[in-house]
This record gives sequence, structure tokens and C-alpha cells, in this order.
Amino acid sequence: MIEFKNVVKTYPGNVKALQGVSCQIQQGEFVAIIGLSGAGKSTFIRCINQMHTITSGEIIVNDANVTLLKGNELRQFRRKIGMVFQSFNLVKRTTVIKNVLTSRVAEMPLWKSILGLYTKEDKLLALTALDNVGILDKAYLRADTLSGGQAQRVALARCLAQKPDIILADEPVASLDPLTSQQVMDDFVKINQEFNITIVANMHHVDIAQKYARRIIGIKAGKIVFDGPSETLTDSDLTNIYGRSLKHDDLMGVE
Amino acid sequence: MTAWLKEVMFPSVIFLANGKSTKPKRSPMVYVVPILLVLILISMEITGFDFIVLFTRGYQFFVIVGRMIPPDFGYIPKLINPMIETIMMSIIGTLVGAFFALPLAFLSSDNIIKNKIFLWVNRFVFSIFRTLPILIIALFGKYVFGLGSFAGTIAIAFFTWLIMTKMLYELIETIDMGPFEAVESSGAGRIKTFWVTILPQILGQFISFILYNFEMNVRSAAILGYVGAGGIGLLLNEKLGWREYDKVGMILLTLLITVYAIETFSRMVRKKLS
Repeated sequence: MIEFKNVVKTYPGNVKALQGVSCQIQQGEFVAIIGLSGAGKSTFIRCINQMHTITSGEIIVNDANVTLLKGNELRQFRRKIGMVFQSFNLVKRTTVIKNVLTSRVAEMPLWKSILGLYTKEDKLLALTALDNVGILDKAYLRADTLSGGQAQRVALARCLAQKPDIILADEPVASLDPLTSQQVMDDFVKINQEFNITIVANMHHVDIAQKYARRIIGIKAGKIVFDGPSETLTDSDLTNIYGRSLKHDDLMGVE
Repeated sequence: MTAWLKEVMFPSVIFLANGKSTKPKRSPMVYVVPILLVLILISMEITGFDFIVLFTRGYQFFVIVGRMIPPDFGYIPKLINPMIETIMMSIIGTLVGAFFALPLAFLSSDNIIKNKIFLWVNRFVFSIFRTLPILIIALFGKYVFGLGSFAGTIAIAFFTWLIMTKMLYELIETIDMGPFEAVESSGAGRIKTFWVTILPQILGQFISFILYNFEMNVRSAAILGYVGAGGIGLLLNEKLGWREYDKVGMILLTLLITVYAIETFSRMVRKKLS
């Protein structure tokens, strides 16, 4: 379970990204965070695994108080949380399988990581993860030969190979076309249901968020202004979240 | 002339056909040229630069070159071992320097080390070391480790270490940090994350840096003998002192060919890498 208790995050220069956010996310939920750019979506996600440190309040994840974690404890904690990014963040100059294996180094001794001595189980785990997202045949290609959709699947496989309880996705499909976006989102749904992994995803496109997530959290100027099942999200809620009616740009164009 | 000078110092307003006007800025050369002239004059005064001596004695250069021709080819057998020694000093020195440059570059990159004070102190200390010319380092080496090629090798290693560190951390600071963030978020420490995400991105450049430093080091190794730090420079110094110019000519020819061969090889490999 992820629990936010009155979380405030202020960036240098008095930029208030989160202003007293409280909410609970249960294990196995699929939550989409929506809102304008700059509303605090990315901050919300990145505070969960302390990629950003919060200014005040508390975040509790599976009984661990994230704010208090440091050094080795923090790294142990992060192993259970996978992360997916808008720009995929793969090492482009190396192979797909090696990219997926990078998520195993956290569990390995330093000398083995440096020599690249991955165990057979690790390799099997990585290949299985690639199979789960349907691109096993790309395993030995270089990452820079992949299309956007394939690259995001590799990133997802890298997450899976980490055997996480939670996957945080920061705009996972914002740089993909509508068709590929839906294929990647289908993978997210599959992973969510098959492995009961909690998914918290920032979504730029409202229609994608509504179609795939079961719960929507709307953030406006650092505060939660909507929180409920995605089918209960109304047009007036959206007008409230975005401070205006929806524009063509806010939709990806899925039925 | 005065009109031109006045125009340079105080550019006049330019009027367009539609009546609008614009005032050109004074060229920075107005300040740069006089300052340069003054600096050149002061430098000539301090260094005793003399055009007359340049003309009256300059021909001596060609006299010496003339005595080097033809070079003493019978001297070659005695040159082979010192030349190999020079190359070996460079190879070992470059590799040892490169080996230690990687961890220091890691500790000097501002996108990896977030502690500003540590970073500043670290960079400050090593930038002071970097001001030492390789000959001075070799001199220290000679006093610490005694005469010979070991001192020279240490000097090359130390020098390469400092230079390569700077080249590497400047490269690391321009690298795509996305993969680093991704693996760090999976709970890996910074060293492991560096190894699996940054190293693959810089590896090609790193090898290219090693070759480039090797090239430079062969050239420095050739003169390290001047301070008694081994290699072919020892012979060069000796033969110049005894004015055996035909042997000097042979040494220079050997050096020329060796350095050219190494540079050509290194350029070929580096082209393949990029």
C-alpha cells in the first residue's frame, strides 16, 4: 500500500509542486494521475521512491516511511519499485538483454556487476520478462535499432525483471503514436492483472487514462481535486482539473 | 587615415532609405589590437628577442641539420632497445593512468557526485596537480625512484591519469542521464549504476582517449631522458652534448618514423571506433 499523508514538496525558488497531498493506493490497483503539465504529476510519482525528497508530510509504502530512508535502506526499498519513463531511458549503445539485466545489478555484488557476471537465473528472468511483453525475438539486438513502442516494452521488461511490487510510470506513452500506445497500455494491464503489481502512471492523454486505469487521481496546482473510479469521471470534473474544457491535444484519439 | 581612425573609434549613425537609423557598435578590436601590441613589445623586451641575431645566427640551424645528413645508419642496432623501452614506458604509463582515471572521473562528475563541497575540493586539488609539466613530474620521479625508465613510466602514468580524468569527466557530464536514473530507481548503488549505464555510453570515446594519450606520451617519453628518466631521450641528450650530429640525425629519424607509425595506427583505430 502507498499512503500519502499531507505531503508538501517545494522546489528551490519557492516552486510549490505538491501542496498537502493525501491519498491511499492499495496493492494491485491501476491508478492514472492526470492534470496539466506543471501540476505536480511527475513530482507525485517521483516522491514515492524518493527520486525527489519531500519537504514535509509523510509517505508510507508497505510499512516503510519513505522520508526516513537513506543509503542502503533506500536502495533495498527501491528494488521493490520499478520505474518507466517517457523517454524510455535505455542504454542505446548496448543490447536489449543487457538493458533488461541492468535491473539485476542492484541485487548483485559489485565485482560481479563490473565483470558482467549475470547468473543463469538472471538471464532467464530477463528473457521471461521480454517474453511477457512480447519481444523475446529482439533480445540480442542493439537498443538503438528499436522502434518507440518496442523500446518502451524493453523498459517495461527491465522493470519486470526487478520483480517489483509497484511500477511507477512517468508519461509512459506520451511519445508514442495512438496504436502503439494502446499496445503498450495493454501490456501494463496484463502485468497489473497477472502479477498483481500496483501501477501508478502519469497520463497526459485523458482518454487513454480513462480507458486503461481503474482509478483516476486528478491533480491541479499541487492538490488532488479528483479521486475516484475512472468511470465516475465526468466532463465537469475534467473542466475542474484542467481549469478549462478539454482540447484536442488532451486526447490521443482512442475509442 | 585620421578619418578612418575616427570612424573606427566613433562609428557614425547609418540611415536607411525609409528614414530609420541605427548606430553601429564600436568593434572590440579597438581595444584588442593596442593591448596585443603592448604585450608583444613587453614580451620582446623581457625575452631579449632580437631580429638582428635571428638573421645573423639563424643560418647555424641549417649547418647543424646539414651535419645530420647523412645519418649514421650503423648506429641503428644500438637504438632499437632504447626505442622499444620508450614505447613500453608509454604503453604501461598510459594504461596505468587510464585505469586510475576512470574512478577519479566518476568522483569528479557533477552529474554523479551531488556533494558540491567534495566536488570543488577534489577538482581544485587535481587541477593544481595538472599544472605540473611532465618533465617536472619526471624529475620528482627520478629523486623518489632513482635514475631510469621506472621514474619515466611513473611520470607518464601520473600525467595521463590527471589529463584523462579531466577528459573523461567532461565527457561524462554531457552523457544521457536517463538510463542512470532508471537503474538508480531500481535500487542499485551509484557505482553499479555508473558501470552498467554510463560506461557503455563512453567506452568508445574512452578507448579513443587512451590511444590519443598514448600518441602524446610516446612524444613526451622521447624527451624524458633529458632529466634522466630513461628512454631514447638519454641518448639524444648525450649525442647532442658530444656534437655527434650524424647519430643525432639517426635518433631523430627513428623517432619520426616511430611516432608517425603510432599516430597512423591510432588514427585508424579511432576512426573505426567513432
